This record gives sequence, C-alpha cells and structure tokens, in this order.
Amino acid sequence: MQPGLSFEQAPPISVPFRFFLTAPLFGMAAGLLLLWQGPAALASRWTSVALALTHLLAVGFMLQAMCGAMLQMLPVAAGANIWQPRRVTHLTHAGLTIGTLLLLAGFLAEQALFFRIAVPFMTVSLGAFALIVLVALFRTPAQGPTIIALRIAVFSLIVTISLGATLATSFGWQLALPLTEITHIHAAWGLGGWSLLLVAGVAYLVVPMFQLTPPYPAWLTRSFSVTLFFLLSAWSVTWLPLQRPDGLQVALACAAALLAVVFAVVTLRLQGQRRRKVIEPTLLFWRLAMACLVVAAFAVILQQLNPGAEDYAGVPFLLGVLLMVGVFMPVISGMLYKIMPFLNWLHLQRIGKPGLVVPNMRQMIPEPRMMMQFRLHLAALLLLLGAVPLPFLVYPGGLALIASCIWLEWNLIVAARNFARFSRELEERLALEQAPSTLPRPEGGAD
Amino acid sequence: MGEERTIDGRGLMPPEPMELTLTALDTLPDGEELLLLLYVEPHPLYAILRQNGYTHRSQTRPDGTVEIYIKKN
Repeated sequence: MQPGLSFEQAPPISVPFRFFLTAPLFGMAAGLLLLWQGPAALASRWTSVALALTHLLAVGFMLQAMCGAMLQMLPVAAGANIWQPRRVTHLTHAGLTIGTLLLLAGFLAEQALFFRIAVPFMTVSLGAFALIVLVALFRTPAQGPTIIALRIAVFSLIVTISLGATLATSFGWQLALPLTEITHIHAAWGLGGWSLLLVAGVAYLVVPMFQLTPPYPAWLTRSFSVTLFFLLSAWSVTWLPLQRPDGLQVALACAAALLAVVFAVVTLRLQGQRRRKVIEPTLLFWRLAMACLVVAAFAVILQQLNPGAEDYAGVPFLLGVLLMVGVFMPVISGMLYKIMPFLNWLHLQRIGKPGLVVPNMRQMIPEPRMMMQFRLHLAALLLLLGAVPLPFLVYPGGLALIASCIWLEWNLIVAARNFARFSRELEERLALEQAPSTLPRPEGGAD
Repeated sequence: MGEERTIDGRGLMPPEPMELTLTALDTLPDGEELLLLLYVEPHPLYAILRQNGYTHRSQTRPDGTVEIYIKKN
C-alpha cells in the first residue's frame, strides 16, 4: 500500500496570497492619483506626484507581488528554504504595505516626518527580507542560471534599498546629497537589476514550462545576468567622478539596453516556437511585456544619444509607463494567473490522498476573466502612452488602470475562494470515503 | 518485466508531469526505475520523493532535457 505522499515543504498558502491580494490595491491607488492630478502628473519626473506614482507602482504593486512570489518560488523552484517563513512573511508584508503608504504620504504631503519613520521601518523589514532570501539562495544545493540570476537580482534589490534609504534620509533630515545622481542609480538597480533579472531568472524556468517552448539557449542564460550586473556596476561608477566620462556612460547604458533587447527578442522567438499553438492570457501578458521591453530599451538608447531629450518631460513619463505598466505589471499579472492556480492545486494535493482526484488548474480562475483583464490592461497602457502627446488621455488611462487592477484583484479573489471551496469539498469526500472503512465489510455480515 | 518506465513530461503543461509521475509511482514495483523527462529540475517533486522514501538522480542532456531516474529506497 502506497503511503500518502506528503507536501510538507510548501509554505502555507496564506504566505504568498496576502502579497498577491494586496498588490492590485496599490495599482488602483496609482490610477486614482492619475485621475486626481490629471496632466500635472506628466509635468516632470521630479514632482512629488510623479515620485508618489512611481513608488505606488514600483513598491506597492511590483515589489509587493515580487516578494510574495519570491517567498513562494524559492522552495518550489529552487529547493531553497527560508529561515522563519511566517515571521519573515509578516515583516515583509508589513514593510511593503505600510512602507508604501509612508512613502506616498511623505511625497504628497512633503512632510519630513513620514520619511523619518519610513527609513528605519523599510530598511529593517525589506533589508531583512533581502538578506534572508540571499542566504537561502546561497545555501540551496540547486544550481543553474535561474539561481545565479536570482542571487544577482536580490543583491541588486539590496543596492536599490540602500540607495532608496539614502534618498529618504536626505528628505527626512534635509541632508545635502547629490540627489539626481543617486536617484538615477537607485532607479537603474531597481528596474534593470532587481526587476529585470528576477523576470529573466523566472523566465528561464517558466517560459519553457508553461508555454511549452524549447529551453532558453545556454549562451543567453550563462551570460545575461552576469553581463547586465557588470554593465550596471560600471555605469554606476561613472557617476562618481566630478568630471563625468559622458561617452563611456552613454556607451554602458546603451549596451545594457541592447542586452535587454536580446533577452526580449529571444523570449519572443521561443514563444513563437511553442509546441501548443494555444493563445492564453499568460502568453499574451508575456508577449506584451517583451514587446514593451524592446520599445523601452530603444527609447533609452535614443534618450542617451540625444542629451537634450531629458528636458522634455514626456520622456521620463513615457519610459516609466513602458517599463512599469508595459513590462513589469503584465509579467506579474500573467505569472499570478499561473502561480495562484498552481499553488491551489499543490495545496489541494496535500489535503487529498492518492486516487482522490483534485480539481485541475484550469478550474481555478475562468479564462475569459483573465482575458478581460488583459484587454483592460492593454487599453490602460495605450491610453497612458497616448497621454504623452495628448495629456487629456491621462484621465481615461487612469480609469483603465483602475479597472484593470480591480479586475485582477477580483480574479485573484475568485482563485482564493475556489481554493477554500475545493478544499472543503475534498475534505468532505475524504471523510465520506474513510467513514465506511471503520465499519465491518458488507460480506462480514453487518448491513 | 525489466523494461524501463518512462514519462516524457516535456510536451505537457504543469502539473500534468507531476500527476503522471505520482500515479506511476503508486504501481512501480520495488527495484524498478522510473524515468521522467523534463526541461527543468522539479524541486516540489524532489521534496515529495525524499519524504516518501524514494531516491532520485538526475542528469542534463545537451539539449537541456533533464533526465530524472526515480527508485524506491
């Protein structure tokens, strides 16, 4: 007789779900802020509104979902165990949620007090998360390009947090620091280091797995993360001297952007070679993201080659929309639509026993609902990009962003509710199956 | 029987390969090996195997296919 297979290594399902269910709320908040501020949101990347918007999306939505996914992915995809998973979860979730609100209040109210609270609070909670995850990634026996990409991604997160804390310290205590330079480096490590490398590391695993494509070519997976890390490091150093080596800085930035193009094009080509030519929401989200990554990278190159481009305020807004609304939000949405159903399935397996059929992954979130969110998100992206030449489009763009995030939130709630329903049904069936076995068998005489 | 039991999970959508593997392990005779072919290292499966008295070894082919051999302890 086969013993029931156990699934003890997976952390409780509430661990990742709380992050996933919180992230869209901050996306909605960003949409509301766009509606409230209107075209003023596009005026410059340095206004408090632009900074608040950026952090609602980058920390509130992206980092929130990415940390949740990381805590879940490490045991599942890398065989790495997190130290004290429950405590780390509480601390990280609080750090991200309250931290985003503190930053939002700090930027919008322009009050030093909020930054003075945010600095120790976010440094401790997010710093602890990053260090604990980094230790887990170095202790896992697993090897391969995903592990290397994730290690560099988490290291980049530590750089991003440190620079963010430095910036917030200067806001909180009015210190004279080279804010422009630090902001450039902070943003580059946050988006190009942490976010892009996390996406790449995850892509090496999930694109072939869920989209049934051939594996990523070894030349790319071996070199991408390490090369990007060196380019980012060298580019960051070029900001240090008073006499900046402008030519070298531009060359390094363009090389990093081209590297991102290579990753995106390889991903798009692999998806073109997938064995099942089914169009499903996660595939569409990924393809949209990779197309936007190509466009964003060329926009960076054009901006670098035309030094005057910085003066046109539409350029940073365009890049921000392309990268956050175009690249990272779609990848995250697409991945959540695989991660949540997979976690449901894995945890339902834990309740069941061999021979008891568990509902399949496709039953967790109805596909038409996910497709609807894709359309809403695409509309939000196009309208917000259109707002660069036609600022009034920021209003329908903001509305579409809110609608997309409400739809995402509802789809994730449906998945969570389905988990509760299916687990209840499984337990009932299990109880029914076990009940007769305690009675004498029919041929034993008793009725 | 002696013939090798193989599950080719490379063309299947997760979690199908894991479902097929767990089902096949139910009827795997002692001493026989199950071969699973995938494009990734299936860590959740490894955890389940370890906790349920199975050993596994894996090797990667040049095309990126991971061969996972599973046997009861």
